[in-house]
Amino acid sequence: MAKTSNRSSSDSNKQKKNNTKQNRSGPDAVAMKVKATKANPFETIWSRRKFDILGKKRKGEERRIGQARSKSIEKRKKTLLKEYEQSGKSSVFVDNRIGEQNDELDEFGKAIIRSQRELQLKLNKKVKYNLSDGEEEGEDFSDGLGAFPEKDDFEDEMLPDDEDEESASLKQINARNVQSPRDIGLMEAEENKHKSKKEVMEEIISKSKFFKAQKAKDKEENEHFMEELDKKFTSLVQSDVLLSLTDPSKMNALKALVNKSIPNEISNKGSSSSNRRTENFEQEKPDYYDKLVKEMALEMRARPSDRTKTPEEIAQEERERLEQLEVERQKRMVADDYYSDEDNEVSEKPSTQKPRSLSGDDLGDSFSLDEDAKTKKGWVDEVLGRKDVEDFVNEDGDSSENSESEDVVVGSDEELDEHEKNLSLKDWEQSETIKGGDDSSKARIKADSEQPSKQLDLPYLIEAPKTMEELCALLVNCSNSDIIVVINRIRGSNAIKLAAENRKKMQVFYGILLQYFAVLANKKPLNFELLNMLVKPLIEMSMELPYFAAICARQRILRTRTQFVETIKNPENSSWPSSKTLFLLRLWSLKFPSSDFRHAVMTPAILLMCEYLMRCSILSGREIAIGSFLCSMLLSVTRQSRKFCPEAIIFLRSLLMAATDSYSTSHQDSQFYHLMELRAVRPLLCFADTTNEIKPLNFLMVIDLPEDSSFFSSDNFRASVLLAIIETLGGYINIYDGLSSFPEIFLPISRLLLEVAQQKNMPNLLHDKLKDMSELINSKVDEHHTLRRPLQMRKQKPVPIKLLNPKFEENFVKGRDYDPDRERAEMRKLKKQMKREAKGAARELRKDNYFLFEVKEKDKALLEEERAAKYGKAKAFLQEQENAFKSGQLGKGRKRRR
Amino acid sequence: MVRPFAVKERKRKKRAEKYDREEYEEEQQMEVAKKAMIEKPNSHNEVEAAAETEEITTPELDGIPIAPSDLKTYKPKVIFVLERASLEVAKVGKTYQLLNSDDHANFLRKNNKNPADYRPDIVHQALLFILDSPLNKAGRLHAVYVRTDKGVLLEVKPHVRLPRTFKRFAGIMLQLLQQLSISAVGKREKLLRVIKNPVTQYLPVNSRKIGFSHSSKKLVNMHDYVATAGSDVDLVFVVGAMAHGKIETDYTDDYISISDYPLSAAYCITRICNALEGKWNIL
Repeated sequence: MAKTSNRSSSDSNKQKKNNTKQNRSGPDAVAMKVKATKANPFETIWSRRKFDILGKKRKGEERRIGQARSKSIEKRKKTLLKEYEQSGKSSVFVDNRIGEQNDELDEFGKAIIRSQRELQLKLNKKVKYNLSDGEEEGEDFSDGLGAFPEKDDFEDEMLPDDEDEESASLKQINARNVQSPRDIGLMEAEENKHKSKKEVMEEIISKSKFFKAQKAKDKEENEHFMEELDKKFTSLVQSDVLLSLTDPSKMNALKALVNKSIPNEISNKGSSSSNRRTENFEQEKPDYYDKLVKEMALEMRARPSDRTKTPEEIAQEERERLEQLEVERQKRMVADDYYSDEDNEVSEKPSTQKPRSLSGDDLGDSFSLDEDAKTKKGWVDEVLGRKDVEDFVNEDGDSSENSESEDVVVGSDEELDEHEKNLSLKDWEQSETIKGGDDSSKARIKADSEQPSKQLDLPYLIEAPKTMEELCALLVNCSNSDIIVVINRIRGSNAIKLAAENRKKMQVFYGILLQYFAVLANKKPLNFELLNMLVKPLIEMSMELPYFAAICARQRILRTRTQFVETIKNPENSSWPSSKTLFLLRLWSLKFPSSDFRHAVMTPAILLMCEYLMRCSILSGREIAIGSFLCSMLLSVTRQSRKFCPEAIIFLRSLLMAATDSYSTSHQDSQFYHLMELRAVRPLLCFADTTNEIKPLNFLMVIDLPEDSSFFSSDNFRASVLLAIIETLGGYINIYDGLSSFPEIFLPISRLLLEVAQQKNMPNLLHDKLKDMSELINSKVDEHHTLRRPLQMRKQKPVPIKLLNPKFEENFVKGRDYDPDRERAEMRKLKKQMKREAKGAARELRKDNYFLFEVKEKDKALLEEERAAKYGKAKAFLQEQENAFKSGQLGKGRKRRR
Repeated sequence: MVRPFAVKERKRKKRAEKYDREEYEEEQQMEVAKKAMIEKPNSHNEVEAAAETEEITTPELDGIPIAPSDLKTYKPKVIFVLERASLEVAKVGKTYQLLNSDDHANFLRKNNKNPADYRPDIVHQALLFILDSPLNKAGRLHAVYVRTDKGVLLEVKPHVRLPRTFKRFAGIMLQLLQQLSISAVGKREKLLRVIKNPVTQYLPVNSRKIGFSHSSKKLVNMHDYVATAGSDVDLVFVVGAMAHGKIETDYTDDYISISDYPLSAAYCITRICNALEGKWNIL
């Protein structure tokens, strides 16, 4: 009851509100005097937009400033003015009547609210049990207000309606006899839901039915799908596709299974059979899978492999192996008969210990094993490997040498029987630059090293010799390959990594070996094969003892130089380097990096070579050969670093001069001719006769030849030397291509080449080569000349103005603080806010003051007016009296008043 | 008596112009002072650096004399004014954006504007061509002023490195038009500013102001035209940065056309720069 009444009241309230809003322009407007006054013309003015920004809608833009001002004045009148009026009073009359606080209600609404409150009070429990007079109620209703009958009617209408509904629902429930009494009670509590109870039940039932149907449908679908799958699978099995993928044994099982199932399917097509079959499948299939899993579980696990061995360990192994071999050898020496038996035993042990099985006989492998340990390929291998290719090339173009080849081919005769001795200078040079060795060369080395395996008298463990004599004693009567084997064994048994004191031993041994090399190089019938083989161990040892090797080389160079200085004092002697020096220089150029800008060994070596070329006088053909060899060696050394060696160029030029029969008296290079005069070049290379046969020079043969051999004065020799010179020159031209002074260096040579080409008796091939070379020089010179710029005043490079990057945000939003320091930004924001608030407050206060001032002024003005009126009145009275007094009507007037 | 609010309240101004209110002269003075402060160590450093570079780059040219520098003579300056640039910010959706014809065609149509008129890319191109020219690198450019269709005047310092992509340019212009100035990274110096109209107050006194328009009757060869200009006169070039129409300015002394064909702003600027570089031998 209470609720319904409440609701109705609020409804009516709303209605009232609507009414008030609608009726404002009507009779109510008369009551609201403020609004009724004539509209202030300022209030109609709208503020203008300052900046026209497309798509922008700002709140502040559309307000009426005049109206806002008058509104604020209104507000002050309600608040500030009230307070001001109260300020002088000691007590206040507070209107606490119901509805008085609410401005929106009019008198009528207030009255309704009040009456409602009263009703509520009456309907409270306490009041319920109070016996009323009946009159009161009647009074209340009749007294209250005219509107109440309506309300009564409304409530009367409502109540029976509710009851009807309730009773109807109750009837329904009773008829069904479903609900317990408690439920009924609950239902009574939730009167609203009663109505849909039946519907709910129906809904539940229909839902459960629906779900059941769905389930059944799903099941059916599943079965159908299974059947389809089965069919597909059987067809697949029969079509042999699966056969290729699975084991045949399993395949059989599968087939049997499928066959079994097929008749089943035929016999009873019901759903039950399909179910059973699927079960069958499910049992069988995991079987196969399980088997696979089990097999996998039984498989071996992966094991870690052996780690790579450190160099120390490798050295240790080598040493152990040699020791083992030595022991065996000793045993065999003592008792040759038993060796087969014991050997087996012994040789089996290491085979079990090490992965690499080694029998006592397999010495050749030992060599290759050593080689494997060293990653760097031996120099000898490469040279020998090159040889095959070289031979091939030489066979190809014997008569027509390929002119592009940069290197000098002095040697590489095919007449020389021994294959190993067939060494060309080209190999000397190229062995360094070419890194790829052939497999065949390796094989050959193996074959070579196989030979000593037949001789078993070499000890396996050899103490490093301490003197030259010891070494000579050790190596006497040894073949070349044996010497190498001995050296390798010495190195193996005294490896530096084995013991600290071995370093000393090896250093001594290195010195001795170097001496041995030098001695060997100086022997007149040159054992070139041995020299070649010695290079490899020497290089490897120098890699192990880099510092010592460098010291050795420096000392030797120093000694050679002092000797050279001594010999050059005597102009009669030939001061050209001996073959020993040449070989040593070559060895060092292989050993040490020649491209370094400054190297402890190579720099003095190059300087020494240049000095030889500069200071030695050219007197014989042999000297010419040595000089040209030095030139080509310098070329190979400076090829990578492109260092400029003027000595070599000048030497080559003077050789070319020697090829002309007469001094051409060109005046340009007087300095050069001065040099030439010093050296007194004779026309050694002038052709006496025409020769058509040009062979590359074999330098080794030349060195072996005695000084006064007739070969040096033959035209063949001249032709081959000239060829060598031209090739070397070509190499230099290519190297010094980038020098900016290239034209100055090579132009005179080009002229000289042409001159030489003009010589009579010049072979055609040489003539062409000379021409080609001079043309090459000329073309390169032209290139350089075109690139040269004339001399200019140096300009100060104009400095462009310094650019600055503007600072801006990618997505700029106005008003956001882009300070990376959060705290600072926050602080700034707060400060800004505070300032704004303070400003606002100050403004409000100021306006308040104006307002108050205005009010006070008004009061004052009022007071003043009043006072003035009073004063005027009094004055008028007095004036009248005075007037009367003066006119003598005093008595009269009094009479009249009475 | 009570004073009415209206008297005390500041009178509503006429439509105020929005610009970066920093005092122009003051800033200049500050800059001069700063330069004086910085110059000494700076110049010293420069000399050292120059000496070093010389040593490094040309060790072999030691004996060759250096060509005399012409730092002391007065070099006339160049100023570019881009008129009628269409740089307009609008609120599209919830964010402010620089209007361009590609992205905001629908928006503009909805607001009854012609999308073809909104071409900030012309300004971007023109500015890039001006600032990238060797003329600028040689320090001959004094400033670039951009006047938008709406009458906002922007100043672009010659040593600003503008963003090369249009998107970033739009971002920078948006920020400039809202924040009224853009400073350098790591410095307080302002590279871009919104300044107070009219543009004539920033132009040098003895300057020759040349407007460009295809509509002009006076068709000249730019190289010849530039050659006639005196060596002590600063040059102001007024070029339109709009898609259609022509510039209407009252401060230009001359009004020329430099091609038989209508040129884009960027190419027109290139031609001007080329002519000047040819004249002043800037390579």
